[in-house]
Amino acid sequence: MAARCAGRALSRAARSVINAEYNRAARSQTVQRLTCTAAPGSSSSGQDADRLKAVQFADAEVQDILNRITGLDLNKVFQPVKQELKPPKYRLLTDTQLEEAAHKAGTQAKKLLKMPPVLPERKPIEEVLCEDKMLEGMDKAKYVFTDITYNIPHRERFIVVREPSGTLRKASWEERDRLLQVYFPKNERKLTPPPMFKEENLKVMFGQNRHHAVLNYCLVQFEPDSAEFKRVHALTYEDIEKNGKYNLLWSTRLFGGLVWHLISSQRIDGLLSDMLQRDRVHDAESLVHLFNLAHPQSDSALQAQQQQASGLELLKIYADCECQRPGFIKLALQVYEQTKTQSSA
Amino acid sequence: IVHYTSLLLRKYHGGHVAIRLALGGATNRPFYRIVAAYNKRSRDGKYIEQLGSYDPLPNIYNEKLVSFNFDRIKYWMGCGAHPTKPVAKLLGECWSFVLKPYMNRISFSGGQMWTQTGIKLPEDHGVQEKQ
Repeated sequence: MAARCAGRALSRAARSVINAEYNRAARSQTVQRLTCTAAPGSSSSGQDADRLKAVQFADAEVQDILNRITGLDLNKVFQPVKQELKPPKYRLLTDTQLEEAAHKAGTQAKKLLKMPPVLPERKPIEEVLCEDKMLEGMDKAKYVFTDITYNIPHRERFIVVREPSGTLRKASWEERDRLLQVYFPKNERKLTPPPMFKEENLKVMFGQNRHHAVLNYCLVQFEPDSAEFKRVHALTYEDIEKNGKYNLLWSTRLFGGLVWHLISSQRIDGLLSDMLQRDRVHDAESLVHLFNLAHPQSDSALQAQQQQASGLELLKIYADCECQRPGFIKLALQVYEQTKTQSSA
Repeated sequence: IVHYTSLLLRKYHGGHVAIRLALGGATNRPFYRIVAAYNKRSRDGKYIEQLGSYDPLPNIYNEKLVSFNFDRIKYWMGCGAHPTKPVAKLLGECWSFVLKPYMNRISFSGGQMWTQTGIKLPEDHGVQEKQ
């Protein structure tokens, strides 16, 4: 979504008034990516801050790792969503047809697992177009003018408010969302956010372990860069992290966002220990690799660079340097190595 | 200048296309559609195209919602359609200068003033047409 918006905005240079902030964010992302690839890992001194830019969420490498960690549990992805009851259809298939059907199911699952974007929070719009003193006091209500032309992306539409004091200003983000829902309604999106997104009600949902339902509804209701979206997501991730309920989001498309949030706040210990408990050692390695990519200035990243570590050594370096619960991770690694030697012997 | 109006109104002699408000809604609850229609048609009758809407009653946020399909309004104005006074007032308020340049400060029934065309405009506002 971010790439598509950026492409359209760049081609419509004349209408880029509202899109100025978004343009700047997209362009700065591409600039950072160029600096990442230009200087491959020369990290001898921690002073080269320009070369060691941390990766962003939308980079191909990060997305790759996150997709791998998310896992592909077909039973969970195709979990029955509440729908109308229809009688089941039975089909007679040969072996090859069965394989094809399973392959198709795999690709469909990958589509369903496409991650929602993590964008920086949008800055409020405060542009005043005109102040007409002579229109002051003409009416007690505001006039909100929307452009209904069909072919414009929603981010570039003109939505403009004329206050009773005569000022003509651009509509704020909340007003924009509301009016776009009035004139171009999306399925299942309400004009006022439902009471589920208040703090008390969210806690009830978390108590019932319905985090994925909360996040899916949040995706439908709010724009990805709005403050409300970020707040709900932060609360959900905090609750998961506090209670260690990482498995609720595993193999859903919301897992990548959770991982990214934990990595940005540098608290991946709980998730690591959970992965090691469930014997997902490769996922744990990719997680630590992602952490090193995202925080290239940290101790574990620098040491890993020096020793050119990979696999279990990455985990050991991370456990030594940055971890707050090193004991558990080292123990788990020992157990894993023992089982590996036993099974090979 | 090609007079599209006469081509358009080949079968309809002596009239013009108007951009005006067609009333709808219910008792004590008006709702206007901004509509391009022939001049002599009835107010709520068959129109050529709907170009927007106007809700005169303010909602819970104290807003009166107006919508314009500026692309098509520009087309019809280019074909020689005449906006009526309320429509022109609304267009002037949202700062899309589809008004003719000689229309400055025409007062309307309550002594209300329209926006002048002589106001300074920033360069990057894409909707205006200075004539």
